[in-house]
Amino acid sequence: MSERKIKDFNKTRRKILKGMLGIAGVGALGSMIVPFGTIKSVSGKKVRQKITKGDKLVYAVGPNAGKEIKASNLSIGKGTLAFPKGKEEHNNLILLFRAKENEFGKPTKINFTNKGFCAYSAICTHMGCTVEWYPEKQFSFDFPHIFCPCHQSVFDVFHGAKVLAGPAPRPLPQLPLMISDGVIAAAGDFDGPIGPQPGGK
Amino acid sequence: MVYGWLNERLDLDRFKKKYLTKVFPVHSTYFFGEIALFSFVILALTGIYLLFSYTPSSRLIDVGGKKIPVAYHSILLINSQPLGVIIRYVHHWAAHIMIAALILHMMRVYFSGTFKKPREVNWLVGMVLFTLAILAGFTGYSLPFDVLSSVATGIGYQIANSIPYVGSAIAKFFFAGKFPAPGSIPRLYMYHVVLIPLLLIATIGLHMLIMVKQKHSQPYQNKDIAKSGKILGIPLYPQQISLMLFVFFFTLSVLFFLASFLPVHNVEYFGPPTLQTPMVKPDWYLLWIYGIIKLIPGNWVIPLGSSASISPEVIGGIILPGVIMTIIALVPFMYKEKEPLNYWEPASLRPVGTSAGVAFIVMFIALSITGYQAELDIPIAACRVYTIVLPIIAFFITYLIIRKKREV
Repeated sequence: MSERKIKDFNKTRRKILKGMLGIAGVGALGSMIVPFGTIKSVSGKKVRQKITKGDKLVYAVGPNAGKEIKASNLSIGKGTLAFPKGKEEHNNLILLFRAKENEFGKPTKINFTNKGFCAYSAICTHMGCTVEWYPEKQFSFDFPHIFCPCHQSVFDVFHGAKVLAGPAPRPLPQLPLMISDGVIAAAGDFDGPIGPQPGGK
Repeated sequence: MVYGWLNERLDLDRFKKKYLTKVFPVHSTYFFGEIALFSFVILALTGIYLLFSYTPSSRLIDVGGKKIPVAYHSILLINSQPLGVIIRYVHHWAAHIMIAALILHMMRVYFSGTFKKPREVNWLVGMVLFTLAILAGFTGYSLPFDVLSSVATGIGYQIANSIPYVGSAIAKFFFAGKFPAPGSIPRLYMYHVVLIPLLLIATIGLHMLIMVKQKHSQPYQNKDIAKSGKILGIPLYPQQISLMLFVFFFTLSVLFFLASFLPVHNVEYFGPPTLQTPMVKPDWYLLWIYGIIKLIPGNWVIPLGSSASISPEVIGGIILPGVIMTIIALVPFMYKEKEPLNYWEPASLRPVGTSAGVAFIVMFIALSITGYQAELDIPIAACRVYTIVLPIIAFFITYLIIRKKREV
């Protein structure tokens, strides 16, 4: 073999070796990423316990937390956060309030209300914060409303919790109510999906 | 004697000659980068102190009849230590100062035109550094796990969750399940104390390595004094080191001053997570994104087939901030320079760029004010108008001033 040929051989050999080195390097680094794909989230899938007919409502916060809410406890204009008894999980948080019976209009489901009691999901449909009951004037709203402290969405309590202001995409789902033995109870589950939905569904 | 012994083995004389005589140009704006660096050092040191007592868990424990999360309880423990609360506040304030110094540093580089060739790469590295600093701030905010942390981090979860198709998987991976899942706080803790600091150290190292390799850019008046290619300034040792020590201790004393008089994230005031949501605002450096989210009408939904859509949160929380950050990152590539630029260029030589920079700062402030729209009782429609109009006005005013100055 001529000297020139040997030189060419060496050149090609170096190229091949460099290429193999590159492949080995990328492969070694890449393989370290694989374990990350197998990481599982710590908690398993949790399905919300559905609210069923007859679930009594209990106070969710305050000194009476856990106690049943009697119809006589809540006067007109008052509101509170509540849970269905035995199903106290965040997504079941309810905003219960009382208004005059003739104050409600569509799209509130009038048959879902009971003697002026009305309940919506307390989880904002925007970012999942807990909404609040504001019976008095706040900002430019001088009538009772539901308010989300995170991005200032305002929901119309008398008209199906439709969005009056702020970025919330959907009204809050409503909960059908009944009164049994003077205690407020649910008459079924919410009429829509609770809180924000993944992928903006 | 020790020096002589070491010098025989490590050739310290050569090191001294090569590095301790490195020349640093002098200008007060060079200190922004240093303040950011020293804030990071202080963050690391105070962070190590906090790690001695902090427990990353959202599990509830019974303390005096009240059920509170372990992480929150460990913060109360830190606060009860003689120097605990002040070091925690210094840590929090240092994060604010670091991000503020980074922004000022970026502004100096932008308005002096030194992002241009040959420093495009370092501009990009700087953008990565800035993003990491913000991520460190976000993850750090979650760790005390008081009501403020849990709500603010929950919103971060929901923004990620709202990305069509992949959002749910990304959010669940990042937060180890639906926030606040049992694994969320440990995972955010890992990001905050291991992953992000490591990446930050690597990026800061790269940033400075490139700076040393390319040498400093200099104020343009240096051009007339020193020969071209030479740096006019002071040597690292002893002059620059003295200045650096001064800046370090000045930063440290300002941080202790702020921490003493302005408590930040007072967990005892806000209390552990509750069912109710308090009025939360993001930190000032994320307030502009919060402003965008408030501005986007709720009906701006782009449907993507039957199963997904692009919601206003994705537009306001991810797409628009992403576009803005990408534009900033690509700034150096909007200029075509033949010669490498090593001296500051007067901002008036880039009328469009400078005006756009001023317009961007005005927009940043306008969006931040929009974050307080409800409290200030400004109608949202007015916010939409001024967020667009004010930057345009700022652009043209700056442009006209530059034009006029050039005519003179």
